Amino acid sequence: MKYHLVVLGCQMNMSDSERVKSVIESMGFTHTDNEDEASLLGVLSCSVRQKPIDKVYNRIHVWNRQKNKRNIITFVSGCVLPDDREKFLKLFDFVFPMSELGEFPQMLREYGVASPLSLSQDRESTHNVEDVLSEVETKSKKQSLLNPLTKYSASKPVLPNNKDIFQLWNVKPQYQSEFEAYVPIQNGCDKFCSFCAVPYTRGREVSRPSAEIIDEVVQLMKNGYKSITLLGQNVNSYGLDRDEELSFAELLTEIGKAGDSLQNPSWVYFTSPHPRDMSRDVIEAIAKYPVLAKQIHLPLQSGDDKVLIKMNRKHNLDRYRESVADIRELIPQATLFTDIIVGFTGETEEQFMNTLQCFDEFQYNMAYIAMYSPRPGAQSYRWEDDIPQATKKDRLKRLSEKLEEISAAYNHRLLGKELQVLIRSTERKTGFLSGHTEGKLVTRIKSKDQSLIGKFVKVKITESADLSIAGELVTVLKDKRIPVSAD
Amino acid sequence: MSETYYHNMHKVLQVQHLTEHTFVVQFERKEMPFIPGQHLVVGKKGDKEFRQYSIYSGLNDPHFEILVREVETGLVTPKLKQLKPGDELEINGPMGYFTVSEQRCLNHPIVMIATGTGIAPFNSWVKSFPDMNYKMIHGVRKAEEAYGIDRYKKDRFVLCTSQEKSGNFNGRVTDYLQKAYFPSNTLFYLCGNSEMIFDAMELLKDKGLNTNQMFAEVYF
Repeated sequence: MKYHLVVLGCQMNMSDSERVKSVIESMGFTHTDNEDEASLLGVLSCSVRQKPIDKVYNRIHVWNRQKNKRNIITFVSGCVLPDDREKFLKLFDFVFPMSELGEFPQMLREYGVASPLSLSQDRESTHNVEDVLSEVETKSKKQSLLNPLTKYSASKPVLPNNKDIFQLWNVKPQYQSEFEAYVPIQNGCDKFCSFCAVPYTRGREVSRPSAEIIDEVVQLMKNGYKSITLLGQNVNSYGLDRDEELSFAELLTEIGKAGDSLQNPSWVYFTSPHPRDMSRDVIEAIAKYPVLAKQIHLPLQSGDDKVLIKMNRKHNLDRYRESVADIRELIPQATLFTDIIVGFTGETEEQFMNTLQCFDEFQYNMAYIAMYSPRPGAQSYRWEDDIPQATKKDRLKRLSEKLEEISAAYNHRLLGKELQVLIRSTERKTGFLSGHTEGKLVTRIKSKDQSLIGKFVKVKITESADLSIAGELVTVLKDKRIPVSAD
Repeated sequence: MSETYYHNMHKVLQVQHLTEHTFVVQFERKEMPFIPGQHLVVGKKGDKEFRQYSIYSGLNDPHFEILVREVETGLVTPKLKQLKPGDELEINGPMGYFTVSEQRCLNHPIVMIATGTGIAPFNSWVKSFPDMNYKMIHGVRKAEEAYGIDRYKKDRFVLCTSQEKSGNFNGRVTDYLQKAYFPSNTLFYLCGNSEMIFDAMELLKDKGLNTNQMFAEVYF
C-alpha cells in the first residue's frame, strides 16, 4: 500500500514532513510521487497565505471525487486556521494537529483502516512502528481512544494546543537528504505581528528539550551531514518559555562545543530569528565556534519605525541597528540576509524610502522581498489593503534592484578568492553543479561530476553576478574547513 | 516565565460595565501563573474568532480580569459584552514580554503612558507591585474613561483629557509629553494605539532620550 504526501509552505512543514513520513512508513506504507496509485493521501497545509489553502481545497475535491472509484483515506495536518479546520473536518477523513502525529497509527486503526503491517504477521516489522514512536508518550496514546473525527468538535478548544508538541519531536525523522537536515528546536509564536496568522495556527512558543536537540545535531554531524538548520518560528526565542532550559545562546554554545569535539564537520544554521531576541551573546557564540555558520538571517520587514509599530514587530530600527553593528564587529565575514514586506497597509513613499535606505546601510547579501497581501486570521486582514498593486510592484522592483546592486558589489570582491562550497545539485545549465558557500551565496562550478553532490569542495571564484558567484573546482575537501574571508 | 501554560476553558464570574462601551470581564484564573503585563488570547467558547487582551487584574487576585472596549461592528467584543456569569471563555496564554522587572523598578523612574484601554497592563503592574515608583500618564477623551483611577496614587497620576477640561491636563498625551521633563534614566512604557506610540516615541527622542529606554505594547 502506498501513500502520497503534499507538503506546502515553509521549511517547518518540510521538517515536519520528515517525521510524518517516518510514522506512515512505520505502518508499512511506501511513498509514491504518483497520487493516483496511493491509498493514503495527505497534505501538510500552510495557512499563512491564501494560495496554499486554495491548493488544499483543490486537492481534496479531486481526491473526494476519486473515492467513488477506489478506496482512499485522506488526512490534513500542519498550519490550519480555526476557520479552515472546521471546513476541513467535512472534507478530510482525518484532521489533526502536528502535535498528535504520534497517534496517527492508532487513529487509522480505530477508523478501521488496515495498514500494510496490520495485515502482516511480521513481528519485526511491527516493532518498526514502536521504534519510530519509541519515545512518544504512551499516556497520550491511551487518550486517543476517541473517534478521530470528533477530535475538533465544538466542545474542544479551537486554538492550537502545543502541549503535545513534544511527541512530534520524539518521532525519528526520515531525512530527505543525505547531507542537509532540518532540526526543529522550537514551535509556535508569541509575537503576534499584525500581518501574520502563525500564532493562531501553530500556537504559542514551546521549546524542545535541549538535550534532544544536541543529540540530534551530534548524530547528524557524525553521520556526515554538511548543512544542519535549527528551525523554529522564532528560533532565538528558544528557552524563554522555560526557566530550566538553556537560552538560545547557551544552546548554540553547546552545539559549538560539540562541533569542536568532532572537528567541525558541518555548517549549522538557524532560521527564523526575531530581531527582538538577537542578543549579543548569540552573536558572540556564532563568532566563537567554527561549526556555527557565519550567515545570519535577520528579518527587518520594514525600515520605518512607524510601520514597524503598526506591524507590531516589537523592535525598532535602533534595536536592529545595534544587532547589525554587533554582527559586523564580532563576525565581519558574516553574510546578512533579511525579509521585507513592501506595500504594507498605509506604507507611504517616504516610509518605503526608509526601507530602501536600510539596504544601503545594512548591505544585505540576500533579501526575501514580498508584496504585502492580507492573510486571513492576521490582525491586518481587518484593515484596508490600501496600497495599489502597481505601487507594490514598483517598490518590489526598486528594492530588488537595490539588493542586486549591493550583492553584485559584494560578489565582485570575491573574485580570485578560494572559498569552501557545499555542492547541492546539478545546475539546469548542462555541465554545471550548484551549491553554496558558508554564507549561503549561491555558487556554480564547471563540473559534471555528480558524485560531488553532498560534498565540501574548494572553489576559486572566477565570475560574479548580481545574486550569485561562479568558479572553478580546486579540490574536494575531506570535511576540513578553510577560513572564509569575504573582503 | 516559570512554566508554559496551555489554553483551557474558564468560566465567567462577572461582567462590570464601566461606560456604555467599555467593560471588565472577570473570569476564573484556575491558579494560572502570569507576569503582570502579559496578555491572554481570549474568545468565547466554540467561537473561531479570538483577540488578545492584556491582563487587567493583579498578581494576587484570585481571578483574571480583562478590560475591553466594544467595537460595535467587531466579531468578538459585542459577544464578550453579552457574557453572563457561568459562560465559558477559551483562553490561551499567558504570553508576551511587556513586563517590568523588580531591578528596573528599583533603579529607574518608571513612566507609564497609555491611551484608553491601554491602561490595562499598567493596572496589573500597579496592583501587583503597590510600592512601585511610577508616574502614570493616561490619555482619554473624557474623564469617564479614566478606568480604575481610584487604584492610582493621585500624585503619580496625570489624566489627559482631549475632549473636555475635566482631567489634570487638557489635551492629548503627546501634548503633555511635549511640556514635561523626565530624568535621563527614566524608563518609558507605552501602551495604546500605534499612532500615539510612534508620536510619543518621536517626542521623547527629540528630548534626547534613547529608544532603548522605551518599551511598547500596541493595541489595535
